[in-house]
Amino acid sequence: MRRVIFWIGVAIILFVFIFPIAWIFVTSFKGRTDIMVPTRLLFVPTLENYVYEFWKMPLLKEMKNSAIVSVISTIFVMAVSLPAGYSFARFNTGEGHLLFFTLTTRMFPPVVAAIPFFFLFRDLGLLDTHLGLILLYLYFNMSFATFLLYGFFREIPEELEHAAMVDGYGRLSIFRKIIFPLIVPGAAITAVFCLIFAWNEFFFGYIFTRTVARTVSFGLISHWGSVVVQWGPMAVGVIFAILPTLIAGWFMQRFIVRGLSFGAIKG
Amino acid sequence: MLNQGDEARIERLPGEFRERRPAWQVLTSEKYIKWFLVIPLLVVLGVFAFYPLFYCLYMSFHEAILIRPPEFLGLDNYRKILHNRLFWNSVGRSASTVVVCVGIEITLGLGIALFLNREFRGQNIVRGLCLLPLMVSPLAMSLMWKYFLEPQFGIVNVMLSWIGFSQVAFLSESGVALYTIMFMEIWKWLPFSIFVFLAALRGLPKDAFEAARVDGASPWFTFKKLTLPMLKPFMMIVILLRVMWLIRLSDPLFGTTQGGAGTEVLDWYIYRIAFIRFDIGEGTTLALIALLMTIIIGAVLFRQLIKALGAAR
Repeated sequence: MRRVIFWIGVAIILFVFIFPIAWIFVTSFKGRTDIMVPTRLLFVPTLENYVYEFWKMPLLKEMKNSAIVSVISTIFVMAVSLPAGYSFARFNTGEGHLLFFTLTTRMFPPVVAAIPFFFLFRDLGLLDTHLGLILLYLYFNMSFATFLLYGFFREIPEELEHAAMVDGYGRLSIFRKIIFPLIVPGAAITAVFCLIFAWNEFFFGYIFTRTVARTVSFGLISHWGSVVVQWGPMAVGVIFAILPTLIAGWFMQRFIVRGLSFGAIKG
Repeated sequence: MLNQGDEARIERLPGEFRERRPAWQVLTSEKYIKWFLVIPLLVVLGVFAFYPLFYCLYMSFHEAILIRPPEFLGLDNYRKILHNRLFWNSVGRSASTVVVCVGIEITLGLGIALFLNREFRGQNIVRGLCLLPLMVSPLAMSLMWKYFLEPQFGIVNVMLSWIGFSQVAFLSESGVALYTIMFMEIWKWLPFSIFVFLAALRGLPKDAFEAARVDGASPWFTFKKLTLPMLKPFMMIVILLRVMWLIRLSDPLFGTTQGGAGTEVLDWYIYRIAFIRFDIGEGTTLALIALLMTIIIGAVLFRQLIKALGAAR
């Protein structure tokens, strides 16, 4: 009896979290009229929304833009955050103040950064370019990545480095030959989180791009015209906006809580 | 084992024989390596953190609308905003969003975590599925729910009509819309608190609970006197992070109400002033005030977190 109640509870929890996501998948195969009848479970599935999204709308281009910007900005973030995280973890650089200041950049209202950068980027010709967005996402993800990597570096025992130092290694070669192989798993987790955050980011993409570099999130909101909402194509857009992150999330499930809590909780 | 002083001495020895070393060697030497490694970070911080801050500080003392050259105003922008009812209304909405969402996420999250805190078949699959809402982008999330909550053919309204309720315009009726936004936020973030608490519950020391059971303590007493105090640091982490994120709430509004129907929270108000009215002077001032508020709240909560961590040890 208690088992039954338990499984009913699990079913309710799963229903609440999964049903909306599953339902939007179902909806994407519905034609124009079926969409207005959400309870109609037996309907003729159609690919018209997919055809519309990929041939009439620039969804493919938007996905490519989002991918380019996410990947390159993540590489930049790692180049900045790996050495910095190591320095904070091993030498306590700046006695914690610098690390804390890095963290506070996350508290800035995005608008704080958006206003000045809008004018700066306009003067530099960076509006609606990939590079402009990459730089913004570097700023956006850097504090998070540094903090998470700091936690991973702290788990590497310092004795390893002392041993290497006795063997005559310099600091740089210690970092390259001993620390780096050990940080690869942590760095990979951090990188996937940066990719997810960059892919999901909306505000900067909305303000700083128009046509050339526009992202998936930007494309999503353009279905919402002043006259009609194109529900069907929007469902397709939503699916392709969330599919990559859902897949990443499934494989990362052991690390999601740790990542989102800036490494504070080792779930 | 080497300690700091020894390392420094070893490093200094060869230096006494050579007069000057190439810059690269100096930078990567024992003394400077730690700063050498944070140079990229400092550059990025300099450009991306200080520049906007000083730009906003400068502009906040000026009247700057559209592209007209800024005119010095002194503290007028600050005075105007602090006397503006619209600003305080938006702060109030943000505050109530924070309180309602964090409150529900903590209590419901803890409840569900206690419920799920056992070994059962397929627990990894259930866990993985429950985590998925966290991965959905806030904008896509809001558009999804916009479809489900549509007044005429949204599935929620259809279901409500089955049990005899009349249609609710979840996203356009003022007084309801803000709660709808809160609901969406809770849907997305509840898994976070559930799994933080699950991780915490798994890490609790077993022997203390064993002792309580042997002494015949009731489950409620054990929960109140043992479980809750031990969970407090985790609660503080959830509160700190969620408050910080909820203050910055604006993405779901772009897909749904666009700040209408009584949902103009703080960041949307800033966005409207700065990017729709294009009042840069007032916009930057608002941004600075919002930043200051966030830092103060963040610092207070961070203190509490440190205290809770200290007490738990």
